[in-house]
Amino acid sequence: MLKPHEMSSVIITGPNNVQENVIKELHELKVLHIVEHSKNELADIGKPMENAARLSEILVRVRALMSAFGIKSTKIEDFRDTKNAKQFLVKEDTKFELKRGTLEIESTARKLNEEASLNIEEMKKLDVQLAKNNAARQELEILKGIKVPLEDFTSYRTLSYFTGYTKNKGQIVALKKELSDATGKFMLFDSDAGGKCLIALFVDIKYGEQANSILQKLAFSPVNFLNISNLKGTAESNLKRINDEIEKLQRKKASVMKSQEKLAKEHMGFLIAADEFLAGQLEKAEAPLKFASTPSSFLIKGWIPAENLNKSIERLNKTAKNKIFVHFEPAKKNDMVPVKLKNPKIVKPFEFFMDLYSIPSYMEIDPTFFIFLTFPIFFGIMLGDVGYGALSLVLFWLLKRKMSKAKNFFNILILASFVTILFGLLFGEFFGSEFIRPIISREHEMFKLLYISIAIGVVHVNIGLVIGFINELKHHGFMHAIYAKASWIVLEMGIAMLALHYFGKIAISPILGAAFLGAALLMLIKGEGLIAPIEVLGLLSNILSYARLMAIGLSSVILAVIINDSARDFFRQGGFFILVGVLILIIGHGINIMLGLLGSFLHSLRLHYVEFFSKFFHGGAKKYTPFGARDE
Amino acid sequence: MADISTGLIALGSGLAIGLSAIAAAIAEKEIGAAAVGAMAEKEELFGKGLILTVIPETLVIFGLVVAILILNLAKGG
Repeated sequence: MLKPHEMSSVIITGPNNVQENVIKELHELKVLHIVEHSKNELADIGKPMENAARLSEILVRVRALMSAFGIKSTKIEDFRDTKNAKQFLVKEDTKFELKRGTLEIESTARKLNEEASLNIEEMKKLDVQLAKNNAARQELEILKGIKVPLEDFTSYRTLSYFTGYTKNKGQIVALKKELSDATGKFMLFDSDAGGKCLIALFVDIKYGEQANSILQKLAFSPVNFLNISNLKGTAESNLKRINDEIEKLQRKKASVMKSQEKLAKEHMGFLIAADEFLAGQLEKAEAPLKFASTPSSFLIKGWIPAENLNKSIERLNKTAKNKIFVHFEPAKKNDMVPVKLKNPKIVKPFEFFMDLYSIPSYMEIDPTFFIFLTFPIFFGIMLGDVGYGALSLVLFWLLKRKMSKAKNFFNILILASFVTILFGLLFGEFFGSEFIRPIISREHEMFKLLYISIAIGVVHVNIGLVIGFINELKHHGFMHAIYAKASWIVLEMGIAMLALHYFGKIAISPILGAAFLGAALLMLIKGEGLIAPIEVLGLLSNILSYARLMAIGLSSVILAVIINDSARDFFRQGGFFILVGVLILIIGHGINIMLGLLGSFLHSLRLHYVEFFSKFFHGGAKKYTPFGARDE
Repeated sequence: MADISTGLIALGSGLAIGLSAIAAAIAEKEIGAAAVGAMAEKEELFGKGLILTVIPETLVIFGLVVAILILNLAKGG
């Protein structure tokens, strides 16, 4: 708590012939955070082991198969959660640990790949045929009503023809009249097509132009039939045939899909295990890229948590038959130490917020514990409703079971929901209505709550300043800590004295307050430079910003009250309106909960990140990621 | 029937929160756009982006406090 795990800087050197064993041991130990070597005149970076290229090739093939089978990361998670999958994975893992394992994976993957790509090919072919038939079907549907053999729609020497839509039946009469005025030699077929009228007009090629202009005049929209040019017989009979064919193709496609799915199901376990195994092997094979190396030796720099140090060195020496040399020392002041946060189990989920923002540096105080203390409280004050709290508690509990990956996030929210219920009891609220006599009413005593919020702000900001004082003390010594951080507290005292005097609450001469103020400003200028006094306004706005604790809550309560009132009006009217009232209650409170959760979460988080952290936090450290540990 | 001064007080408090909300919205619009852009480049910036985006939100809180203070005039006077 408050401090991360203690780290030791480690340097491992040895001859090249033990490198592979050392890497294997490190991979199993999962303790060394490797610091990547960058090339310099003394030593180049190492070369990957010779099987790395091959491993990555097989890995790519396995991953391609996984994506072809639609095995997504979420599926892998689900798969891992089932019990017998775990046994399966372990079994496969040990089998693969032999060198032969890689070959086995390769041949199986190749065979699978062949089968899968056959299926995919087949599916593509079927898709093309289906698309063609569907297009033909569409055109046949249009032509269904016209009793002309399809082979007649071809190019003639003496005839030209038009197919397309006219607006309505009446136009056909007009068309017939105009055409017979121009020429007697024409044939006109028509059929109803949902309000519009489909026509097929055959006319002597000499009058083609003329017929075209007549059609134009009557707002004729032509339709071309491209997909049925080699069909014979009536549209009706063709349609039946094509429908049959489409059905056949679809059945075929379904069966191919089924066999692909079967393939995927059968080999999912193998693929996931192979993927994990190969990824691990590849990590080992490529590890030398992070080392410094000379033609005959290697050097690894890194960090190991102090508590694991002795055991790790012992095991490394054993595996390398004492041919390596391990140098270790505690972290020095200006080292870039990777940070592994250390917190008790209940505080642990809140490390999520540090990941989201920035990992605290090795020397400074880890604020996770303070977030654990205050985040749920702020969240609770803002949401503060027994009903909302209970509902979100259930919601997040269900979501946590569903999405095990975001477990930390939901643990935070579950705790926050619980605190919400407590504050709901304090405020006496149940879905916006006061169901017991509240100790403080958010709806009616907003000023009282405003003062409480600001008071919480003063306390919280000052906790931040005290943490900042301790950080500065460790980094830059006592005097600087006084100038840079304690000065703010003196400043606040000065302002408080002046304010109390102004309101006539205490009998202190204003000169004393002013003196405090002046001294604080001088200290600030000494500690942080001439620009610091401008920050005084910043401090005030930081503290006032805690008014949001009251404000967010107030808006949520007022909204809930409005929802309840309007629903009550409907209930009074009785009958059908009761249903409307219920609907208003459900939708209204649903929206209000969503808004409330989002607002409470973000604002509570913001109070920590902006108002609290700005008083002490530096951050910017790298997260401790030991070699060999899979990301969880 | 409320008299005109009550109406003016209500109007004033409405303006206080409305205008501060508009100001916050304008500020957040620009910061939010930039933050999303930065996040597209580098996903780890989510935390900082979020913080920077919600900084102007304080304006609305101040607006609300002022609005409530003004409304209190109506009760007192």
